[in-house]
Amino acid sequence: MIDKTIDKSLRWVDDRLGVAKGGRTFLDKIFPDHWSFMLGEIALYSFVVLLATGVFVSLYYVPSAHEIIYHGSYLPLRGQRVSEAYASSVGLSFDVKSGLLMRQAHHWAADIFLGSIAVHMARVFFTGAFRKPRELNWIVGVSMLILGIVNGFLGYSLPDDLVSGTGIRIAYSIIESIPVVGSYLALFVFGGNYPGNGVIIPRFFLLHVLIVPLLIMGLLGAHLGLLVKQKHTQFKGKGKTEHNVVGSPMFPTFMAKTTGFLFMTTAVIFLLGGFAQINPIWQFGQYEPFQISYAVQPDWYMGWLDGALRVMPSWEFVGFGHTIPLEVFLPAVIFPGLIFNILLVWPFIESRHTKDLAYHNLLDRPRDRPKRTAAGAAMLMLLGMTFFASSTDVMANFFALPLKSVLWFFRFAMVISPIVAYFVTYKICNEMRAAEGIGKRKRAVIIERSSTGSYSTVETEPRPGDGHEELEAIPVPAFIDMVPPELATGEGVRRVMR
Amino acid sequence: MQIGIRSILKARVMAPAALVGAVGLTGLLAFTPAAAQADSTTTTLPALTTTATTGAPVSAVTSAPSATGALKYDSAANQKGFFYVSLPKAFVAPGQALFAANCSTCHGAQALGTNRAPNLQGLGAGTVDFWVSTGRMPLADSSVQATRKPPRFNRLQTLELAAWVQSLTPGVGVQIPVVNTNHADLEAGNTLFTLNCAACHTITGAGDALMDGAYAPSLHLATPQQVVEAIRSGPGNMPHFGPGNITNTEARDIAAYVDGVIQHPSNPGGFGLGGIGPVGEGFVGLLLGVGILMLVCFWIGDRT
Amino acid sequence: MSDESSRLEGPLPPAALDDPHLQPLARHPERAQAIAAVAMVVGFLGFIGFGIAYWVTSNSQWQAITLGVGLLALGFGVIAWGKYLMPQGPFVEERHDFHSSEAERDAMTAAITERGGMVVKRRKLLGGLFLLGSTAMGIVLLFPLLRSLGPKPAKDEAATGPTDTSLFDTNWKKGAQLVTVDGREVFADDLEVGGVLTVFPKGFEGSSPDQVILIRLAELGPNDPPYPIAAPGRTEWGVQGYVAYSKLCTHLGCPVGLYQELTQQLVCPCHQSIFNVNSGAIPEFGPAPRPLPQLPITVDSSGLMKANGSFDQAVGPGFWERP
Repeated sequence: MIDKTIDKSLRWVDDRLGVAKGGRTFLDKIFPDHWSFMLGEIALYSFVVLLATGVFVSLYYVPSAHEIIYHGSYLPLRGQRVSEAYASSVGLSFDVKSGLLMRQAHHWAADIFLGSIAVHMARVFFTGAFRKPRELNWIVGVSMLILGIVNGFLGYSLPDDLVSGTGIRIAYSIIESIPVVGSYLALFVFGGNYPGNGVIIPRFFLLHVLIVPLLIMGLLGAHLGLLVKQKHTQFKGKGKTEHNVVGSPMFPTFMAKTTGFLFMTTAVIFLLGGFAQINPIWQFGQYEPFQISYAVQPDWYMGWLDGALRVMPSWEFVGFGHTIPLEVFLPAVIFPGLIFNILLVWPFIESRHTKDLAYHNLLDRPRDRPKRTAAGAAMLMLLGMTFFASSTDVMANFFALPLKSVLWFFRFAMVISPIVAYFVTYKICNEMRAAEGIGKRKRAVIIERSSTGSYSTVETEPRPGDGHEELEAIPVPAFIDMVPPELATGEGVRRVMR
Repeated sequence: MQIGIRSILKARVMAPAALVGAVGLTGLLAFTPAAAQADSTTTTLPALTTTATTGAPVSAVTSAPSATGALKYDSAANQKGFFYVSLPKAFVAPGQALFAANCSTCHGAQALGTNRAPNLQGLGAGTVDFWVSTGRMPLADSSVQATRKPPRFNRLQTLELAAWVQSLTPGVGVQIPVVNTNHADLEAGNTLFTLNCAACHTITGAGDALMDGAYAPSLHLATPQQVVEAIRSGPGNMPHFGPGNITNTEARDIAAYVDGVIQHPSNPGGFGLGGIGPVGEGFVGLLLGVGILMLVCFWIGDRT
Repeated sequence: MSDESSRLEGPLPPAALDDPHLQPLARHPERAQAIAAVAMVVGFLGFIGFGIAYWVTSNSQWQAITLGVGLLALGFGVIAWGKYLMPQGPFVEERHDFHSSEAERDAMTAAITERGGMVVKRRKLLGGLFLLGSTAMGIVLLFPLLRSLGPKPAKDEAATGPTDTSLFDTNWKKGAQLVTVDGREVFADDLEVGGVLTVFPKGFEGSSPDQVILIRLAELGPNDPPYPIAAPGRTEWGVQGYVAYSKLCTHLGCPVGLYQELTQQLVCPCHQSIFNVNSGAIPEFGPAPRPLPQLPITVDSSGLMKANGSFDQAVGPGFWERP
């Protein structure tokens, strides 16, 4: 009997590890069911796919800048002197079975990983889930965002192609722009004046496959551990208080849903990996520091930095025998530093402003905190504008506009649009709070005319799913009476089907 | 309370799914202009990939033999790669008639130019062939950079026009090249294109905006002859690459690369997304990738 | 965990089998099961399909569609099982205060302060010495971590050391021959008006800091006066109509390979800085702060182009030591 086998196995394990109590608590753990609480899972599962496809890809990639002659099957490269890193990446794409699928799935998974972190972070921000006692988890999350962005940059720079190599050159110059220590740091990191003595590719590789993933995994463990210990937040609703969690138990419901979601996330990533070409490095060619392509942008999550670099005016401070290239230092070092620091300490900025030090396990509707929502909207607008500003040339070409006009537009838009967004969002929040029944689907109203000519209205039934009556929540039952009631023999006795 | 799967699927998921799918797919397709412009005329293009393990002999990268002087237009070495032809004298008269009817209003009766259009004398038949065969001339709108459009004249008429303009300054200017890409070195074309052309036309030949409303056009419709004519004549803002800079063989290799690789890129990974790189990829990844998964979340979870 | 103490305070009665919380969400569970089952069968077939596709073809699209459909369908089936066929709930769980009791907190603080007070505060000398040793260890361990990574920059402006550490030097010296990346020598007749070429000093082809862009602005002969460059002190530099500028953008070091011939502007493709070639590559728009350093060139008697000196300043982006 399966039940007996499970019983014996559990007892064997419990004899050695004492896990029955904790295990049952774990199985009974309640997860609130709101759809927006699953956004973090998109990030989690795309990270899993990143690890799996990453292992595959690193079995073939050669992290070396040493030059060889390309002999693979892509003809326009045959006979060209390329680095082993580039040759192995092209080789993976053309000469390894499933190689291209895995490589592209890996890259799409990275884009989706960071995109889902962004929407997840936005959900946490706009619902105030970062408040006490979850400030630490917020900091862990923002740290993972930063590490994810860094690892993405390191990863797409590994193939040593023309497009990503340009990004590495720019990274060198950004490091170099730091006052006092910049030139030292740049030469240390690169092993010499640009392009360095070939160490940057192996160093990026080590960081990308070992050091940063270990950091992310450690932080991920902390993130999930904190979530388990502090339990998930929930929206206000029937039966939901600051002192409980209402939802589905871990076993069997949540496990089923989340496992299925893992499959679906993996499915979307692999479908993109097979049908939407990404980073076709064979078309770009080997990176040479004297070659360049037009219409080169970094991957989307670095786009905001590129946009900031484009719109910045050419202010360079020269004096007292030194130069501080502000046109690089401000947009590429100070600006992201400010943004990330504001993000990291936001829970404390907010708690200092609202003087609110109470525990919060219930979430806000964004409209109930107009200032926070407006501030978040302003930040999103700022980042969105800098993001779009990174494709000024592509936009000018696509919309047939003069390049200078597009750039000037973004120079103004970056400053003005967050302010406008703040006030507009603030207003909208207040209006939404004042409106009755907003966001709920209207019920149809039937107007009837009686035989005497008077009108009357009849409200129809709510549509299926609307305002459905929730049952009162009960604790997860440890035991279920498996005998059907009609065969019951008495009260208060645990009856088990044998 | 119990809910049927079908009503949920129908009511809640279809509409937003259709919306996101439409936006995402529009993004995907908007970035695939090359697919729509795929060259339907099949030529014997070399396959871009091969499963052969022993391919063509490897050409080691050696430096070209140092010349003792620049390659003159009429030097013997300049006849390798492609060759120039002189147009028959019989083309000149009909060319003059065509010019008088279609071009002289702006360019003047003797093609010396007016305040509306530049002097064409000395530019050569090849230059005229480029502008007219790509449809840029006659100009549709003089306030913007000339765009490629369906040519107004057929091939014979184009060559007649070119012959007439050439006859005004015999021997001067870019001649008509006859380009055979069958034995071109694709790898050399790759290297040359990356060094000389990618900075304006992008590495995938998609083209991009320049300053003051000018732009470097897409290369997806250029014929090998037009590529060589453009290289030699430097139309508009394009630099002039003479035979001392890019030899005939090198120009032929570039033309073969444009014809074979730029216009028929190897896209084993799926939709090319327009060849504009991370901008298109970001849209697809966020709208389609994250968007579809958010819809799945919408289905799985509660909405209250 | 702190939860268990309240969990089994007394024997909880078993839930009845027909308890509404344990019922599936689906109105027609049999239909829901059928749909989920079909989905899982499709998933199974999809994976079989991937297995076949892997052996039969190298085409990514076939592999992706089979794998994707398999995962999608199986995932859909499992989710449908979980959402529509498993107990619909809702279930509740109590939260407990995160913080420990006051007594515990006091004891914790006391454990540190009082025992610490006995041992550490009274033995200040030992504590201080340990701190000193540990700090020293922390600092000196940073040395191999950071300093061993690479060479120090050679900051001296007059340094003639190797260019892989010098911030100011390139390999351009007076008399260095201009060659293309293939090593081909450049003659004064090679470029037409409006032609551009990437050149390096002979022997250093492909070297990043040495990359120079050569542009011909006018067809001038060896006996003609040089092309007038509108920059002080450089009126003689436009020998035979040529100008040569460092190809490294002064913004972030991208190669400035885009020459707009009609307007005689170099445009950096990375962030669209514009340099006016006629007036010493002065930046006219965009984020680049300084002009591209110009290389003085000359033509010798056989027509070979050579450098007439080195750059008068560091090439490329700005850095702290740049005066």
